[in-house]
Amino acid sequence: MAWFRPVVVAMALLAVLFGGAGGPEAGASSLGSGPPGGGSQGGPQLAKAKGDACVKDRAWMRRNHMDFLKHRRDETVREGIRIRDESLLNCQSCHTSRTEFCDRCHSFVGVQPDCFHCHNYK
Amino acid sequence: MTMDRRTVLGLGGAVAAGSLLAPGVYLVAAPKPPARTEVKAGRRWAMLIDVNRCSPDCRACTQACRTENNVPLFGDPERDIHWIRKVEIRDKSHKRPSITLPVLCNHCEHPPCKHVCPTAATFQRQDGLVLVDMHRCIGCRYCIIACPYKARSLVYHETHLPEGGNPKVPIRGKGVVEKCTFCVHRLDAGEEPACVEACNRDGDKGMIFGDLNDPESTIAKRVLEAKTTTIRPDLGLGPQVYYKGL
Amino acid sequence: MNSDFTAIEGRSPGYWQLVVVLGVVLAIGMGAFLAVEFLGHGITNMTNRVVWGLPHVFAISLLVMASGALNLGSMSTVFAAKQYKQFGRFSAYLAIALLSGGLMVLMLDLGRPDRMLLPMLHMNFSSMFTWNVFLYSGFFALCFLYLWSMFEYHQFTKVVGSAAFGWRLILTTGTGSIFGVVQARDVFHSAITGPTFVAFSLSSGTALSAILLILTYRHTHRELDKRLVFGLRNALIFFTLLVLYMLVVEKFTKFYSPAFFEVESWLLTGPYAWLYWGGVVFAGAVFPLAVLFLPKSGNSVDGVLLASASSVLGVFCFVGHVLIAGQSYPFDMFPGYEIVNSVFQDGVAASYSPGAVEISLGLGGVALSGLIYLLGIKFFRLLPEKAVVPKGWEVPWNP
Repeated sequence: MAWFRPVVVAMALLAVLFGGAGGPEAGASSLGSGPPGGGSQGGPQLAKAKGDACVKDRAWMRRNHMDFLKHRRDETVREGIRIRDESLLNCQSCHTSRTEFCDRCHSFVGVQPDCFHCHNYK
Repeated sequence: MTMDRRTVLGLGGAVAAGSLLAPGVYLVAAPKPPARTEVKAGRRWAMLIDVNRCSPDCRACTQACRTENNVPLFGDPERDIHWIRKVEIRDKSHKRPSITLPVLCNHCEHPPCKHVCPTAATFQRQDGLVLVDMHRCIGCRYCIIACPYKARSLVYHETHLPEGGNPKVPIRGKGVVEKCTFCVHRLDAGEEPACVEACNRDGDKGMIFGDLNDPESTIAKRVLEAKTTTIRPDLGLGPQVYYKGL
Repeated sequence: MNSDFTAIEGRSPGYWQLVVVLGVVLAIGMGAFLAVEFLGHGITNMTNRVVWGLPHVFAISLLVMASGALNLGSMSTVFAAKQYKQFGRFSAYLAIALLSGGLMVLMLDLGRPDRMLLPMLHMNFSSMFTWNVFLYSGFFALCFLYLWSMFEYHQFTKVVGSAAFGWRLILTTGTGSIFGVVQARDVFHSAITGPTFVAFSLSSGTALSAILLILTYRHTHRELDKRLVFGLRNALIFFTLLVLYMLVVEKFTKFYSPAFFEVESWLLTGPYAWLYWGGVVFAGAVFPLAVLFLPKSGNSVDGVLLASASSVLGVFCFVGHVLIAGQSYPFDMFPGYEIVNSVFQDGVAASYSPGAVEISLGLGGVALSGLIYLLGIKFFRLLPEKAVVPKGWEVPWNP
């Protein structure tokens, strides 16, 4: 049964490599260094937002906005804690177009959040 | 009229004035919602409906609800969704004229729908509201079996935000169960439910809404001073929609 | 004894035809599920008043029979009826097969089947459904252990078999209590609803076991001693009398109280009276009893087959009556008043006739159970080559 040992080692190495590259710091710096208003080199072109600044910095938002929207939804729905800056309605006041903002990046990274089946976002 | 009501009306006035003055620049003129709101525990939202005032042809409450909450009509009476509906009843001896009244979710103190829900998608908020967490509902329909008020409906068809619908209230996807929320989004913003507002504006002025646990509120005083009843109090569910004159 | 167990050959055209037919029915059922998943429940005939329709009738009937299928095993393991020890494996396996079919239908009829694992993540222990999640998975595990012990570890058979017996009683009480605890519904809110489900599970499970044993042995040209069938017949008579007893006690208690006059008269004379009298009372109890008590039919294997088929039909009708009539009966929201007008059909009895989608999905569950059984008897040594009675045992009573 020794034959599978190299396989396990290789998988562990791969996991460490990719896990490290995908970790919060590394990911944030590589994603956050794009030109203002647009995406990183080769990334999706996102519509420029209204207003001065987002509720958090761009790098953080790129990585973690779903924590606001999805993970906090239980608190909002079930405990009635409504935090304006973390609500989908508030996103729309600056990022006015879903197709030119949310959808572009979502389709670029290949995720299909089903928020918009029910939540309205123009 | 209590302070509570006055604040509510004031806020509504501000919104109205804001949207009148600056129609094109909604984003600038609309008052920003507060940074954070939270449920006040110990509240008990309740409704008092004066049946004597409710006239047979008035549909102010049901229509306001439909627009406010994007409640769909599929054109199929067996599957249309009614968060609030008008019912006409007559006593069995036929000695008295018939009466009409709106029936909606009673936001029971001991909600059977909550007790039977396998995923705790139906839950009771700290202020007594019985709500459905649409993210968690699996569509098993046990709650519809358990509710004696027929307040709940399964969404049988795909729904869309209707023309002129309210973008602030999400529509419900097919396959989940929905019902009256007492307009939770309005309550959390300090407003009254849409049906109550419409009844007092366009209708017969027969609905009062408020916090039953606040002894100073209109509803607490009225429920104390007038003889009120609920639908099927014998079931012991503690419904929070009170009727006067039934 | 152990070496006597053999798998069936399963090479005849008849066997494969049966497998293919069941496979096609299952595939149609899956198609119906996909259609409902993508197009919504709008394509079914269920409404907002009858929200549980034919799929639930099939699912719950299969679940009730699954617990009943354990009868044969329990008879030998718990009640020391040694002549049925040879059917213990068959019995536990059949229970698993029926449970799988029933649960599949139940799961696939959810409004959001993609979320079917949520009950595991967010449990609400006041819900009978949550309890049933535990009861069903526990029953699965116990049946599997029971089966395993009968194959390998005979010393544990008694313990596991007894646990499974206790579990199945609780399980079926739990299934019945899905309805029994619902206070809102006059038709089935009753403490006796759970026990009545148990009685029906005893009768229909025995009946289904008898049918499958007789047919399997007949078509594989194996030897099944008639006396074993007649022993089952006596059990079926006893269980069917139990069913009748439950039905009579319930109606008697309810008719004693004037508060129930209206709903009970509606049940016995209203639009679903045919289902009650024809399905529950006649097919579920009276007809099987008549067939089994008459010496001519009661003493023939085909007579037992006929009575058993009727009994299985009876359990479907019983569950159907509880579900459909129970939901159709209008709520009495305003006692003392009558409802003149409502946009939501308040105060009017609902009607329901199943559509093609529901029938396909329900039959899909039956087909899955059938397939699991058919493949099981081919690949596992579930049934004895020769089913004979132990020396000195005689059927204690014959009509």
